Amino acid sequence: MTERLSSPLARYFEIYRVQLKNNFVREAVYRTNFLTSIIVDLVWIATEVTLFSVIYANVPVIAGWTQSQVFFFLGIFFASDALFTTFFQRNFFNFSDLVNKGDLDILLTKPIHPLFLILSRWMNLTALFNFFMGLFIAFHYAAPAGFPGGWKWLLLVFWLLVGLCAAILLRFAFAVWIFWTDRNWALVRLYYQFFAFATKPDAIYPGMIRYLIPTVLPFAFIGSVPARALLYGLQTWEYFALAFVMLGFLGLNTILWRKGLRRYQSASS
Amino acid sequence: MTKLSDSTSAPVIEVREVSRSFQSVQKKPGFRGALGLLFRPEKTVHEALKKVSFSIEPGSFNGLIGANGAGKTTLLKILSGLIPPTAGEARVLGYEPFLRSIEFRHQIALVMGQKAQLWWDLPAVDAFDLLRAIYEVPLPIYRERLELLAELLDVKRHLHTQIRRLSLGERMKMELIGALLHWPKVIFLDEPTIGLDVLAAHKLREFLREFNLREKATIILTSHNMEDIERLCSRVLILRSGELIYDGEPTGLTGKEERRLRIRFLQRPSLDELSECAGIPKEQIHFTHGTEAESLAAHLSVRQGQIVPILQRLFARFQVVDMGLEEQTLEAVIQRLYEQDRIQGDSRP
Amino acid sequence: MNTALDWRAATLKNGFRDATAYRVEFFSDIVGSAIVPAAIQLVFWHALFTLGGATEVAGMTFTDMIHYTIVSVLFSQVRGGDQDFELGEMIRTGTLSNYLLRPVSVVEFIYLRGAAPRFLIAGLSLILGLILSLWLGGASPVRVCGAMVMAVMGNVIHYQIGAVLSTMGFYWEDAYSMLMVKNLVVSILSGELLPLNLFPASMRWIWESTPFYLYVFGPTQYALGRWTHLEFLHHLGIALIWMLGLWFLIRMTWKIGIRRYLSLGG
Repeated sequence: MTERLSSPLARYFEIYRVQLKNNFVREAVYRTNFLTSIIVDLVWIATEVTLFSVIYANVPVIAGWTQSQVFFFLGIFFASDALFTTFFQRNFFNFSDLVNKGDLDILLTKPIHPLFLILSRWMNLTALFNFFMGLFIAFHYAAPAGFPGGWKWLLLVFWLLVGLCAAILLRFAFAVWIFWTDRNWALVRLYYQFFAFATKPDAIYPGMIRYLIPTVLPFAFIGSVPARALLYGLQTWEYFALAFVMLGFLGLNTILWRKGLRRYQSASS
Repeated sequence: MTKLSDSTSAPVIEVREVSRSFQSVQKKPGFRGALGLLFRPEKTVHEALKKVSFSIEPGSFNGLIGANGAGKTTLLKILSGLIPPTAGEARVLGYEPFLRSIEFRHQIALVMGQKAQLWWDLPAVDAFDLLRAIYEVPLPIYRERLELLAELLDVKRHLHTQIRRLSLGERMKMELIGALLHWPKVIFLDEPTIGLDVLAAHKLREFLREFNLREKATIILTSHNMEDIERLCSRVLILRSGELIYDGEPTGLTGKEERRLRIRFLQRPSLDELSECAGIPKEQIHFTHGTEAESLAAHLSVRQGQIVPILQRLFARFQVVDMGLEEQTLEAVIQRLYEQDRIQGDSRP
Repeated sequence: MNTALDWRAATLKNGFRDATAYRVEFFSDIVGSAIVPAAIQLVFWHALFTLGGATEVAGMTFTDMIHYTIVSVLFSQVRGGDQDFELGEMIRTGTLSNYLLRPVSVVEFIYLRGAAPRFLIAGLSLILGLILSLWLGGASPVRVCGAMVMAVMGNVIHYQIGAVLSTMGFYWEDAYSMLMVKNLVVSILSGELLPLNLFPASMRWIWESTPFYLYVFGPTQYALGRWTHLEFLHHLGIALIWMLGLWFLIRMTWKIGIRRYLSLGG
């Protein structure tokens, strides 16, 4: 056996580097995909922008949010969502196949944490375009939205990471049920239906619903909370709620993953 | 848990009274079915392995055969650490497989003929690069190994071709390379020749034999292709309904001494006459059925040394039209074995 | 005897069975996809009228908006179906060849198979609509029935457009992305996310120049009595023209596409 000198962290970095390279090569092979996927992304952005433009053509303010502020939110939301799409979306999409067809077997024999292999395998680097579009929109509407800018842009990095983590934790909580059912697209669709709520700033939701859907299920953490935090700052309790809900989901996901894996191993023949 | 030394005499795999039962759950359709599964599942228990014991020497090439559902894949999964046994104990390289320690995973490989681990849209070499990173093979050693494996399997020119553009045979070869790049000490091959044409299967076998001889890796292979077993394995384990019913050399199964003698007579003799004349029990004689011409032929199971005297006696008494000698094929033996009861006093070492 | 009708009936039945094999998922899916856009709408109106204190937006009161939202749900579930994606996928992967050997029109076969569950939904929505109209008293049953006819025509038009876009698959591997673009545009221009009269006058041409408003906005307007019978007939005529024009367009693009498909060896 060969000597392995590198630290675990270095090893994981090396694997991620190779995965990144491989995905880049794969996408370069399908160049036409690049253009079409950008078109789809642009149209998606356009529909969301149109929706708000039409409403703001009739009223100046919705629930205290001006048009610029909503567009600032949309920019952050698009950027955060694009990060998820780029690095995780397809891995979750393929997760059910991995379990159903038993391809997870091979991954379990590798000397690496299987979840790392599962979640790093597929990327969609083309979606980074949307990330930059989102940032562009956020930058463009920052000043009219009342965002002070300057060093506070650094906070954006933090909030984008929060948004990404929230999306991963949520999507995982919806995907992991595949261990118990052989068709979980009803759940996946439920995820996207909830996700539709996240495409609007949480301030417009009436009290009860706002705390139920976007906070307990942290869909609001993807875009609304970051935008609100940057524009107005959060109340202290909201920071605690954020940490509490995220850690709660992390714990829940860990338990479900372990239980699911055990079930997978007891059911497979 | 003590780690075994690398001395050649100590077995590399030890399986003691391993049993495995499954609870298959009846699932009703829909989300409600899924919920029901979670809270009050209805289970039926199925025993896939029943008190299986054996041990395997380092560097040996072993065949594992059995009909579909006999428990082959289950055994491989237990040995590679994918699932735990419900009872009994398995040790591979001194490790308990199901703990799946990093060290253990570094030293084994599992290849499943029906499950691909390579990327469809990428050339094989990119997938190998990933496996290099996963198993931390130093670059110079990696290049050396890849060179050697590609050479042995004759796929050097395909390394930079997208996997999807390769034929099934070439793809399987790539899967093998991917599984061997970390030079595993124990290799589990689950039906590696499935779906391959005769030539591709042959090439793959040649390679496996060569690799086993050169690198002294221990190999366990399951297959439905008896040629795989005959050509490669010095030892064969046969499972039937989860029980180990044979453990020994493949030649012990075919009974190299035994021959089938086919004789066609001008007129069909009676069974008694034939048995008496040939001097063999009636059970070893079978008349063929079918058309009139076919019913004139008989099959006799005889020992190698008896052939000439028996023929002489038969020629003297009957008018023989035609005759032939057939060797017992492993395939036929296995087929009978699957159907038969457990072999009494099997030839376990 | 009547084979032309037979295969169509069989196709509908088959598609219906397929869609409802998992009943719970089927209905939870419908309810989910009906409630989510409606809930988002209601949230908007709540934010505009209750929080924002507006009394009228584009000539509509809070009650008007809520009526629109509830009634539009009846029609938003009739539109849709992903058959055009199926058709595009068949063209892309080459499984189309299996269907070309059959003695029926592939385009129609795929439509009917996918539309079967939509017809069921249309029936259920109609019953629900009639009950609602009697209960609310505002809309006459005639209007509800007429509106549903328009919604079903919208379903056909939706597929026709999809089928035309699918034929791009004969030339282009990524044709499905055009179907996604279409669906995104439909989601806003059909009126299922907001009443189209919220569009400022300068932007009206956007939705008026597509047939998408005939899917949800049109039927809702008529059912709620905001269109006169004459206006309704006018738009019904427009729907017919779209259907006819698209029918010719499909025949053309399909013929050209198939020729290319076959010449490439299927």
